[in-house]
This record gives sequence, C-alpha cells and structure tokens, in this order.
Amino acid sequence: MKPSSLIPEQYRRLLLYAGAVFLVLSVTLYLALPVAALFFRTTPELFWASLSDPLVISALWLSLTTSAISLFIVILVGTPFAYVHSRSVYPGKVLVDTLIDLPLVLPPAVAGFALLVLYGRMGLIGQYFRMLGIPIAFTTLAVIMAQIFVASPFYLRQAKSLFEQFDRSYEHTARTLGATPLRTFLTITLPLTAGGLVSGAVMTFGRALGEFGATIMFAGNLPGVTQTMPLAVYVGMESNFNLGLTISILLVIISFLIMIAVRILTKPEVPHA
Amino acid sequence: MIIGIVISLLLATACIAGCTSGTPAPATTSATPAPATSPAVAETAPPTLIETALPTPAAPEAKATSTPKPVYTYSEGNVVAYTAASLSGVSPKLAEGFETMYPGHKVVFNLAGTQALKTQVQNGAYCDVFISASNAYTNELTKGNYFVPGTVKPLTSNYVIVILPKNNPAGITSLSDLAKPGVKIAVADKSVPVGTATTAVIGNLAKSAGYGKEWNSSVTSNIVTYETSEPAVAGKVELGEVDAGFVYESTYIAGKDKYVAISVPRAVNYLQTYTIAVMKDSTSKGAASDFETFMLSANGQQILKDYGFSPL
Repeated sequence: MKPSSLIPEQYRRLLLYAGAVFLVLSVTLYLALPVAALFFRTTPELFWASLSDPLVISALWLSLTTSAISLFIVILVGTPFAYVHSRSVYPGKVLVDTLIDLPLVLPPAVAGFALLVLYGRMGLIGQYFRMLGIPIAFTTLAVIMAQIFVASPFYLRQAKSLFEQFDRSYEHTARTLGATPLRTFLTITLPLTAGGLVSGAVMTFGRALGEFGATIMFAGNLPGVTQTMPLAVYVGMESNFNLGLTISILLVIISFLIMIAVRILTKPEVPHA
Repeated sequence: MIIGIVISLLLATACIAGCTSGTPAPATTSATPAPATSPAVAETAPPTLIETALPTPAAPEAKATSTPKPVYTYSEGNVVAYTAASLSGVSPKLAEGFETMYPGHKVVFNLAGTQALKTQVQNGAYCDVFISASNAYTNELTKGNYFVPGTVKPLTSNYVIVILPKNNPAGITSLSDLAKPGVKIAVADKSVPVGTATTAVIGNLAKSAGYGKEWNSSVTSNIVTYETSEPAVAGKVELGEVDAGFVYESTYIAGKDKYVAISVPRAVNYLQTYTIAVMKDSTSKGAASDFETFMLSANGQQILKDYGFSPL
C-alpha cells in the first residue's frame, strides 16, 4: 500500500516539515536553554556589580593567563611533535596515538589525582623536585600543567590529522627546488594547515579555560594563585550565588566566542565565482 | 551566522539527537537519588570504639529478602540524611547504630560541606534529615522554612585542631611554627563551617600573646589551598602534600594513626555546634524523627563521643 493513498500529499509534506522543525527545536532548546537560564537569573546591575569583585577579576585574569600559557606550550611542543609523529613510522605508534588521546576520555578528577601522585611532593617525580626546592602541586604551575594535560589532545589530534592528510607533493616540489626541510615546513606546510591548526588551538584554549576537576585536585583552590574561573564558579555556587552566576556568564560568553572563532576558521575556502 | 552555530551544535550532538530523536528535554525525575557517598574512611575506624555500647545487631533479614532492595524509594523507613562532611568518618557507625536500634529503618548519607548541602536543599534536593555543622546555615534554612518547627536541635560540637602528616615534614612542634617560611597549610574555605572556625581560631591567636599580627600574616601567606570540605583538608594532609591542616578534633581522633596533632588551647579555640533537623518536605517523617531520636540518644551520642566529637 502506498502511504500517499492514506495521507494526501500536501499533508504528508506538512507532517514531515513539522517533524523536522520539532526535532531541530527540541535538540537546540535542550542544549541552549540551560545556558540561557543563566542570563535570566541575573540583572545587568548585579552582573556589573559582581564583575568588579576582586575575586572575579583575579579568577578571570588567572584563567586567561594560564590558558594562554598552556596554549603557547602546547603549540610550541605539539606542532613539531605532531609533524614528526605523522611523518614517521615507528614501533608503538598506535600506542602513542592512543595514549595522547587518553586525556579526552579520562575523568578530569582522575587526571588530577594522577598528576598529584606523580608531581606532588610525595609523588614519584615530585619528591625530587622537592629536594631541589621546586614546589609543583598547589602552585600556578600546577594549574598550567593540569590544563596542558587535559587540553593538549585537542590540538595534537587536529595537527596530526592535518599533517597526515596534507598533500605531500607540495612538500616534495619545495624540496626538489632546494628548500631545506625546515624551510619547507615553515613556508609550505605550516601556512597551508594554519586554519585547521588555529581551530585546534582555539579548542585547546577553550578546554584549558574550562578545566576544573584536575585543577581543584592537583592545584588546590587559592584565590589569585590557583582559583581559576571554574573553581570560582564552584565556590561561588556554595557561598556567593551572584559571583558564581557572573563568572558562569563570563565563561558562557567566552565559550561562545570560541565556537564562533572555530567556525570562522574552519570555514572552507570560498570558491571563486 | 547564528543559524550556522545552531547547525554546528546539531552536528556536534548528532548522537544525542539519534538517541532522543525528537523528544523534548527529558522531564527530570521528581526524586533525584542522593549521591551515594564513599564510606572509605570507615575502614579506619578507631580501635577505641566501644562495640559493646551497641545492642547486638538483629539484622532485619526478613525485609532484606522479601523486598528487592528499594534503595531510593523514600518509603517510610528510609532516611536520606544530608550530613556535614566532617561526620564522614563516623557515618557508617551511626548507620549501623540506627539500623540496630530501629530494625527495618535505613539511612543513606549525603556527605558534603554544609554550604554545599544547603545550596542543594535550596535548589530542591530531597532529604529527610539535615545535619549542619554551622549555626549560620541552620538559621538560614530555618528562616527559609525548610525544617519541621521544633525538630531543630543541637546535636554535638567540635573544636578545631591542627593536624600534620605522620612524618611531620616541616618539623612543626607548635602553633608558632605554622608561621615559618615555606610551611604549606591547607584550610577550608570560609564558606565551609570548619573554615569559619579556622578563621576565628587564627584571629583569636593573633590577638593573644606570643603570636600577633606578624604571625597572622605569615600563616595566611602560608595557606596554599582553601578546600571545599573538611575531609578535603584532612586528605591533603594525609597525602603529605601539605605540612599542616586545620580540621576538627574528631577527624584527628578518628585518624590518629595517620596524623600528628598540635592542639589549639580551648581559650582561643572555636566551638562549632552541629544541629539536626527534620525536613518539612520529608515523605518519611516518622523514620526521620526516629533517626533524630537515635542521634540524640545515649547510643548515638556515645558513638559521636568515641569519634572525638565534644558532647554538648
């Protein structure tokens, strides 16, 4: 039996249309409504008032600087790593691939515990740093280390796949024209993969900015030193609701800007008319 | 642009859409299970505990076998107790004592900093009994009309003590030593009841002879973390990651094998009073008030005393 014989064609299309709209709306609302609720709970006056709170300012400043430093280190070390890794065949490569993806699925609290057990002053490595008089846990350095641990896979994955998919004939051409491998990388490979690399970097920055679990366990919670914005939200929810709300909204705005940046950067090249 | 973002959201959540396919935001279940809390500390129960103080356990076997363990049904007999985290160590013993005194009743603890529990309750979390480690939060909830009037009662109390890791890495022998450069101190955030008490103790010490303002500012600059619950402070000390932590005396007494302590003289100490109350919205008020009766009974008080709480 043909379905069109049961429902007239114009109604069938209408139903299909309604179904599609319902699907799009329900998914979008489910994901967007909680975020929107944050804005409904505050007033502009309250928002501006708590924005100038020293706790908010120090958390914002700390989060932005630590995330920026984390990102800088990830790019500096991650880019050559991803290049070398994607261009070479070596035993255990699959294992390395798996290990560097692990932080993506590892609960951040586990990451924090692991970092503490390794770098804490009673830790496997931390005890030697302690002998040298270098504290790691409960310092700003620990915040950065936690951020790098949880956020670097976003950049590494992106860089790896970009370098793997990169058309190597460009590189070969450059090399046959006498360019050194470094020059080839800097003038050919890097510029042509820059868009994708930057979008990976932006994702890494966003993840670092949102890092909570590993930070509170490994770096502690000290305003101005290790209390990043997500930690301030956590403490704020329990003690000063408006502060928590204000920082949450700031994080939403920043996250939104990050997503927009990623979309612009990953937009495919506009073909010439 | 906005549409582009919406579409990217859709793509990113393709699997979610696949599962819920068109269903709107799932209706939240009316009774969210209280997060089960780890009774890990229970394993290290102090040997001083007087087991004989409890009646011989007459386990309600019949109930356990006839019903397939309805843990979170909130039926009469099940008590969900939102409990200050500093009772973590003693909570399994309290459960045992309660379930022995009232066979058939069961208690499940949600242990967290009182400030967190208060926020949860204010945002609609269900519980039958609320045990607060701070009068300030008790009063706030009382004003908010969360408790059955007349059920708010003082439960026990606790003094502040300074604990050090067993090997005392910083060589601390007195409260003055806390001001030595390089000493790492963990305290609870001032929103946590023990954090309030810690602030008061440090303030009192600063005012007393031999300490002073300089000691106060050195100690404050030695603080490396403001934890969000009392057990979190103790945990950092136990791991040896800090040199000292301000906790409750009960925590030290329950973990004597794990810590060394520097006691704070009573004259400058701060007595934090715990309260217990039955929630107005409880659907098992009978069992809840039985639990309160047990906690205030000689049995309950003895268990708390064994774990280092100061009787009222």
